[in-house]
This record gives sequence, structure tokens and C-alpha cells, in this order.
Amino acid sequence: MADASPYILITALIASLMLIGANALYPQQGSVFGSLLSYDRLGGFFGVVTLLVTLFVTVSSVVVTNERPNAPLYYSLLSFTALGMLILSYAADLLMLFIAWELMSLPTYALAGFEKRRAQSNEAAAKYAIIGALSSAIILYAISLTYGFAGTTQIAPAVRAIASQPFNPLASTAILLFVVGFGFKMSIVPFHMWAPDAYEGAPPTISTLLAAATKKAGFVAAIRVLLAVTTVYAVTQNPVFSTANVFAVLALVTMTLGNIAALTQKSMTRLLAYSSIAQAGYILIGFVMYAYSTGVGGYQQEAIIGMTGSLFHVLNHAVMKGAAFLVASLVLFKLRRADVQAYGGLARRMPVSAFTLTVAFLALAGVPPLSGFWSKVLLFLSVLNGPYSWLAVAGILNSAFSMGFYAWIIKRMYMDESETTEKVNESTGFVVVFAVAVALIIGLGIFPGPAIAFAQNAIPTIFAR
Amino acid sequence: MNTLMDFLIVSAVLFAIGVYGLIVKRNALRMIFAVEILINAANINFVAFNRYLWPSALGQTIVLFSIALAAAEAAVILAIVVVAYRLHDDIDVSELKTLGG
Repeated sequence: MADASPYILITALIASLMLIGANALYPQQGSVFGSLLSYDRLGGFFGVVTLLVTLFVTVSSVVVTNERPNAPLYYSLLSFTALGMLILSYAADLLMLFIAWELMSLPTYALAGFEKRRAQSNEAAAKYAIIGALSSAIILYAISLTYGFAGTTQIAPAVRAIASQPFNPLASTAILLFVVGFGFKMSIVPFHMWAPDAYEGAPPTISTLLAAATKKAGFVAAIRVLLAVTTVYAVTQNPVFSTANVFAVLALVTMTLGNIAALTQKSMTRLLAYSSIAQAGYILIGFVMYAYSTGVGGYQQEAIIGMTGSLFHVLNHAVMKGAAFLVASLVLFKLRRADVQAYGGLARRMPVSAFTLTVAFLALAGVPPLSGFWSKVLLFLSVLNGPYSWLAVAGILNSAFSMGFYAWIIKRMYMDESETTEKVNESTGFVVVFAVAVALIIGLGIFPGPAIAFAQNAIPTIFAR
Repeated sequence: MNTLMDFLIVSAVLFAIGVYGLIVKRNALRMIFAVEILINAANINFVAFNRYLWPSALGQTIVLFSIALAAAEAAVILAIVVVAYRLHDDIDVSELKTLGG
């Protein structure tokens, strides 16, 4: 008998996606539950992104979990994670944020180790869980310092209290710990070391969730907490350590190291993991001008462009990386191989998957007219004028460099011969997700307007503070 | 008479011990202890700030939440460690090295 649990979750996810999407278009701003949650467009934006990825993962997982007796457990854990990410998107209180963070993280530890007889899966879960526990403990410590400083856990008043003073060691330590704690989940260098191992060992559908969804939840937490406290110098009173500089250096190091490490990988899931780290670097570029604008002043236009680019890239990256990881999941599920050699001649054996991976890779590299191109244009435009123009140069160089290994995989799939040309049956659930993802990537590339407006509308809620 | 600073110093020392434990220890159970110490360092902060600076129940309420979450977290990680023990007959995390490349 077919198990009903995935279909229940799919229905629930589609229903909540429609509800949140509609509310994000026509929001009634405000707060609910005694201002524990803020009901705004930023939350709506990230709610749509994270739920979309969870929907992709759920639809594709149906065929993978079909033969497992404990499939209902898998889907209930998935739904808890989705709920955690959703609450995190809307959280307006540090206590709520922490609880949502744990609600999002704890099920993913269990999901990463879901194939409990496979040693790699358990190893991935162990590494991910210990690093995850460290990051949540660091966030809790940062919250405790913020509470001591401001006397409240409401994000907006706490942030105002911190921002009203030019420098305070207590507040600066809290901000630094927030950067570290969120940095682990966003997998920015130097807090990325768990990501390749976790993504490689975990069941690949769960790696999709980790790379495309929970990582984005880390970004929304960072946007809500960190971006309004930019007048605090991160380490000392020396302006060299301003938060804008910290973000700029993190962005540079993250995208460069991610791309260089991706080039040397033999396993597809590890390559995707490092490419995902590099993309986190691009998203951080948008934060830089915002931090500079709030900290030093001026450049308001650039700050808005940068944040729009960041949010748009969050959406694009969720779709592109989700599609790419799901192709890797299908190949691993059907061929039982994850190394890049398995992708030789894939176009003849699995044409839909090969085409999806090609589109996703071209979009990740930023080839026009795909969606990834527009968000990168916005990101690089934002830093082009002003003190961080070197970051735009570095970003463009990185994009060109990353095209190297993406094109190499695409060439492998289309030009190389495989040992066998036997056709592989591509499961319907995966094909449906691939079709939607490719349509989104190409559609948002040709008509980026609505999505950019959607992202831009989410920004005033950050500025409003 | 204890001052706020005494509690903050104890908490900072506990935090340092927790980070040290996570970095140096290779036994999975010890690493879980280290995480618990980190969380309790934060809890001491909450209660101390509540007692000396902000006399409402907020800080103590957060600690109750945090204790419950720490227990849930420890349960999940312990379950993963039990599975690791069944697979490897060992809980030394340096044995976990099949991934990498």
C-alpha cells in the first residue's frame, strides 16, 4: 500500500505557500503573539523561498522513501523543519528566533542520519549535529549578552539600544558571536568546514534541504539581527573593523575559497557543496553597502540595490541549487554513484536530468538570460560605486572562474561517452520538480521584474528600524 | 557579596571551557558535555542579568526554554552517537573519516 504521508505534506505545503504568497503580496504589517512574530514582507519572502524548496524536496523524496518502512517519520521531520524555517522567517523576538532555530535544526540532524545503517550518513549527521549544537549555543550566548545590554529580547528595541552607542565591548562581543553563530548555518568561510561532509554523507534529498533552505533561514536571521547594528564596530573602535568591512572580507574569502575548492572535487555532492559556499559569498556582497550606508551614511541607492540583489539571489540560489542537488540525488538513487565520472554521457542516459543540471549550472555561473545573471548584476552594481569597487571586480572574476568547472561538467554530460548508453528511467516526481525549477530559472531570467519587485518590497521592513 | 561581574566571569570561563572541550576532545560524549557547558554559560548570563540589571521574569523564562531545548538537542545528538557506536563499536569522532576528498 502506498504511504499517504508525503501527499499530506505536499498538500499542506502548497496550501501554506499560496497563503503566504498571497499575504506577502498584500500584507497587513504588524505583529502577532505579543510581538513575538512580525508579520511583514521580509518574512513572507523567506517563507516563500524556504517552503518552495521544502516542496521540491518532498515531491522528489516520494520515490526515494517508497521502499522504506519509516517513511512517515521522514515526512514528519521534514514538516517540523519547514515550520521552524517559517517561524524563523517571521521572528521578531530573539527568544522566538532561538526556538525557531532549534525547531529547524533538530529535525535536520535526525534527517541527515536517516539512513542509519549507512556509515556515511551517520558520520554526516554526527559532524553536522555537533557543529550545529555549537552554533546554537553561541547564538544563545550572544542573545544573553544582548539581553544584558538592552534588557529586552525584542529584536527592534534591542538593536536600537545597541546602535545608539558608538562602541560597547559587551554589544560588540554579542554581534561578533551572532556573526559566528549564523555563519555556521550560512556556511560562510571560515565556518564552512562541516558543510561538504554533511552534504556528501546525508541522504542527497536532505542535502538539498540543507543547502537550499536551512541555509537561507540562516540568512534571514542574519538580516533581521545583524544588518541594523552596523554602527557598532565589530572588534575595536578602529574603523578598519567596521561591520561593512567584516562583511566585505567574509564575502571575498567565502566566494573565492568556495570556487577554488569546488574546482578540485571528485564527488558531485562535494562540488555542489563548495559551489553553495561560494554562492553564500555572493549573497553577502549585498549586505556590504547596506552596512556601510547605515554605518557611515550616504549610498542609500546602492544599499537598496544591494539588498534587492541579495534577496533575489537568495530566491534564485534556492531554485538553482535545489535543482542541481536534486539531479545529483536522482543520479545517486538510480546509478548508485556520486563521482563526476558517473556524469559522462549522462545526456544520452538521463536527458531531462542532464538538461536541468545544465540550466542550473549556467544560471549559477551567471550566464544571461537566466535568473542568476540578474541577481549577480544587481549585487555587483551595488558595490561598483563607492569604497568597495574591488568587491565587484572580485565577484566578476569569481563568476568567470566558476564557469570553468560548471562548463567542465556540462561538457562531460554532453560530449563524453559513457560505459553504457542504456536509458535510465527518470522518476516522475523528480521530472515534475525539474520542469518547475527550469521554468522558474528561465522565466525569472526573461521576466525578472516581478521577482525583483517582490524582493525589493521586502526591504523597507529592514530600513523601517 | 557577589556582584554581577563575578557571575559574568564564571560564565565567560564556562564558555571558554566549552569551546576548549569541543576543539580538543575527540570523544563524542565529551563533546556533548562541552555543548551543555556552553548552553549553561549562557543560562548563567541570563539569570545574572535578570537578578542585577533587569528585574522582570524575562531572563529566567528564557532559561526555562533554553533548558528544555538543550535537553531535546542532547537527546537527538545522543541518538546519533548511539547509532555511531553500533556501526563502529567506538564513539571516537576521529574514527569518522570516511567522508572527504
